[in-house]
Amino acid sequence: MYQSVHTNRRDFIKKMAMLSAMTAAASMFPGIIFAKEQEEGIPAGANLDWKKAPCRFCGVGCGVLIGTENGKAIAVKGDPKSPVNKGLCCVKGYHSIMAMYGKDRLTKPLVKKNGRYVQTSMKEALDLVASKMQETIKDHGKDAVSIYGSGQWTIPDGYVASKLFKGCIGTNNVEANARLCMATAVTGFLTSFGLDEPMGCYEDIDHADTFVLWGNNMAEMHPVLFSRLLDQRLKRGVKIIDFATRTTRTSMAADKSIIFNPQTDLAVANAICYEIINNGWMNKAFVEEHCNFSKGLTKMGYGLEDNYKFTDKPESISFGDYKAFLEDYTPEKVSKLTGVSVKDIKYLAAHFGDPNKKVMSFWCMGMNQHSRGTWINNLVYNIHLLTGKISSPGNSPFSLTGQPSACGTVREVGTLTHKLPHGVVMNKEHREFAAKIWDVPVENIPSKPTYHTVEMFRALDRGDIRFMWIQVTNPMVTMPKLKRYRDGAKKEGRFIVVSDIYPTPTTDIADVILPSAMWVEREGMYGNSERRTQYFEQMVEPPGEAMSDTLQLIEVAKRMGFEKQFYYKDETHIEEIYTEYRRHHDNKKHNMAPLEVLKSQSGAMWPYVDGKETKWRFNAKYDPACSNGKDFHFYGKKDGKAIIWQRPYEPAAEEPDTEYPYWLGTGRVVEHWHTGSMTRRIPVLHQAMPHAYVELHPDDAKRLQIRTGDKVKLTTRRGEITLPASVNERGVPAPMQVFVPFFDENMLINDITLDSFCPISKEPDYKKCAVKVEKA
Amino acid sequence: MKKRVGILLVFALLFIGFLANWTYSYYQGLEEAYIPVHETSDIPVIPSEKKVFERSRYALDYLNMPVDENHQRTLDTYYNNRAYPGAPPSIPHPVKEKLGMGANVCLQCHQNGGFVEKFNAYAPVTPHPEMINCKQCHVEQQTQSTFVATNFYKKPAPDVGVNNALPGSPPTIPHQLQMRENCLSCHAGPAAVKELWIDHPERVNCRQCHVPKKQEVKNVELFVRANTNLK
Amino acid sequence: MPIKSYLVHPSEGKKAKLTQQLSIMEHCEVLPAENEEVLILVTETNSKQEEEILKEKLEQISDIKLMAMVSGFDTPKNA
Repeated sequence: MYQSVHTNRRDFIKKMAMLSAMTAAASMFPGIIFAKEQEEGIPAGANLDWKKAPCRFCGVGCGVLIGTENGKAIAVKGDPKSPVNKGLCCVKGYHSIMAMYGKDRLTKPLVKKNGRYVQTSMKEALDLVASKMQETIKDHGKDAVSIYGSGQWTIPDGYVASKLFKGCIGTNNVEANARLCMATAVTGFLTSFGLDEPMGCYEDIDHADTFVLWGNNMAEMHPVLFSRLLDQRLKRGVKIIDFATRTTRTSMAADKSIIFNPQTDLAVANAICYEIINNGWMNKAFVEEHCNFSKGLTKMGYGLEDNYKFTDKPESISFGDYKAFLEDYTPEKVSKLTGVSVKDIKYLAAHFGDPNKKVMSFWCMGMNQHSRGTWINNLVYNIHLLTGKISSPGNSPFSLTGQPSACGTVREVGTLTHKLPHGVVMNKEHREFAAKIWDVPVENIPSKPTYHTVEMFRALDRGDIRFMWIQVTNPMVTMPKLKRYRDGAKKEGRFIVVSDIYPTPTTDIADVILPSAMWVEREGMYGNSERRTQYFEQMVEPPGEAMSDTLQLIEVAKRMGFEKQFYYKDETHIEEIYTEYRRHHDNKKHNMAPLEVLKSQSGAMWPYVDGKETKWRFNAKYDPACSNGKDFHFYGKKDGKAIIWQRPYEPAAEEPDTEYPYWLGTGRVVEHWHTGSMTRRIPVLHQAMPHAYVELHPDDAKRLQIRTGDKVKLTTRRGEITLPASVNERGVPAPMQVFVPFFDENMLINDITLDSFCPISKEPDYKKCAVKVEKA
Repeated sequence: MKKRVGILLVFALLFIGFLANWTYSYYQGLEEAYIPVHETSDIPVIPSEKKVFERSRYALDYLNMPVDENHQRTLDTYYNNRAYPGAPPSIPHPVKEKLGMGANVCLQCHQNGGFVEKFNAYAPVTPHPEMINCKQCHVEQQTQSTFVATNFYKKPAPDVGVNNALPGSPPTIPHQLQMRENCLSCHAGPAAVKELWIDHPERVNCRQCHVPKKQEVKNVELFVRANTNLK
Repeated sequence: MPIKSYLVHPSEGKKAKLTQQLSIMEHCEVLPAENEEVLILVTETNSKQEEEILKEKLEQISDIKLMAMVSGFDTPKNA
């Protein structure tokens, strides 16, 4: 009740009458929704036109309704029909439309001439981009040009980028910032199941009894999903266990908070498996029927050196071998290393082991930005596989994403160096299949992947890459060990094109800045974490000459002579692209819903087969692609069996020592999304969280005589940075650890982070490096 | 002779046995005496975060409580009872217990609230029941008159209904959070001020949508982008 | 001054039409459910007679499959 209540007795009775009818309706139709609550805040008589869209920000993919008036977006409400958020948003979602109206919005292309940016027309700017790209290919070869996109690319953006670079130009220099956030989830899925993306869906939340959050501050980062957990706790008394390295809002809301030492989640996960097997909690029938055991290489290194290469060599092992391996991970042995008490390890194991409890695991960057990220992903799957708690309602290991289309675009369209929309570049059949749909000679698509993100920026620094087109992302804030890559990008003879909506530290290094049309200023689709593809139409006009990333790419492609492949008409190009894209996934395992369906409802989950979405993959009851006649069929692997991996604990690339005695971790806050280039331009959000800070444990702060607001100097082997301190406020790190959010371009924490990465996924570990802390 | 050797041998064996046993139990004793030090990872509590969830277990009760129009507090009476917005309210009713600091006597009514026949009103719920020296801040009013009139400027209270950025968007929090971190204690239930009463207490994680209007962190110097298209 | 609330079940596929029809009628307030084929109707009339007239009018609407009263109040006129 936001506006002042002026109820008299009659109104009150009317309200009671209405309420009793609503209660009666709710008893007849459980889950019934009335839009009243949301609409009440909208002033009467407001002549708003409400249209549905997925939210612009995180990977949860909330449905929002956007109210427009006189060609401007002026209000947002949660879409009650969306099965994702059921009418609720978070503070970012409610204010998301304000991100389109920042005063310094880029409206005209800018070209750098003699160190100054000069305004030009879109036509000239695109001519320049095309000619520069052709010139670079001529002088330095195909592999000297590259594109770096993001999980905020719509599906059509990513699709035309891949088609242009891999299919037409013929280079695998296609990467996206999802390499910095989701790559590990992908390799985790591929190694364990052979197919990417979660088997379950958000509906699992309504069935599960216990939720284990692995290093996932869900209350701030995925607040709308977390509110569904809280809702279930009120209604059904479910348990929420927060397993993390830092005390956060989630810990405060959880039923139990367990803190572990950074990197030692590997050991705890193995200890849980040990407990499960030794207490006889293993689901023997499930494991025998549906699982194999494997081990891979160990002591893989950390990718700190240029041109680092690693390929895992999987090797089959027996259950006996696996059991013997786990002997090193008894709760007693693991306790000292991890800082988790034996009791707490057994507590966790008991929740997974209890055959009467359905368990859902959630994780995001804590496990993915991890120098052994693929391993920890495997280990959590191990727990769920050993207990058979997978692929059925409420039993779900669930990998969350941080960007609106990290799944939809980067993972499904495959805008990573090794990927194609269907399959990988290394596979001849997959190349032939893609080339046919793309209408290009198959020889065009190189069979070798080139650079993953970190290596791509290293190549730019070295001069192997001369031309880079960056769209919808801000690498000059997000790259680890940022200084090297910033200096590299500024070197002579590099040509950088940046498509964005606001000036950012990344546009600062650009030679050409192209103004983009964002979100509902154009038409497009996003795909969220639960395999749900959602469509949005254009609702408002983009400012000035701003143009969608899809159209920018098409225009450049045409200028480079690929009119035949880029035949799309201006008015219908999104529909044409999506229809073409669907042909890549035309099979029971990945069929995408047709556009009419996406337009008529709040998205649809793939595989979309015979007019029905698939809620639980690999489960014969729900998934029409299962064909082995058993209850479960992990058809991503040839023999239909998922893999339980033997993965040991190994230390992080850089651990605290006497010189740099603290751990440094980075992350987000609820108010800001990623680098804040949008959310910081939303006054409500900026005022609530105006700048970054460094969180210290109260004991450390006391010893160093630091109070909230005092300047603190952080020094690592890469450099130093000064930030105001925060003690006992939003979060509290464990003793001898500090935490810094990365949204603030004025306090670039990534200048001092380490660019070590998971050797399998090549995703950097932003959560762990050694740092010295001093009062400044 | 043989017998003697036999006896000696028995004693020697006994002695060796004793020694072995003694040494073993000595070391065993040492081991037992050693109390393994478990590093207890004590979980610190962040008041501003923790308290948001504190009364959430009552959220569904709050949701189902009928609104008692006749006994609702109003914003006017709410602020009249405070010297300035954010000041501790004084006690508007007589208190029998004069000696103690308040504690359980006050908490009987003010921990969970409820209707009080005597005062014909609902007892407001305190957002900080763990602070039991109530009378340290909340004092009884013995008289309405003043010693000398005051020139103190009472800042007007924040308005209701004007704190949202967009039509229908969640309003921001226009007040300080210190000691008022527990949203539900004042914004839900029959003792809530009617203008501040919320209809969705079951959402629990209040600050996922409602953020403070003004930062409580110390301001750092204003950041101006060097490379900007703003004139 | 009777105030009554009903659960109204529309005939198949007529929810939107019925909502529209009821919302323009005098003394009626409608709240359709978003995801179920049901709507809530609150009527507020000035007297018993008016109430009777309204009831007859409602009964004539063919798109209403079923109407169930949930609660009714009668308040004194000057309340």
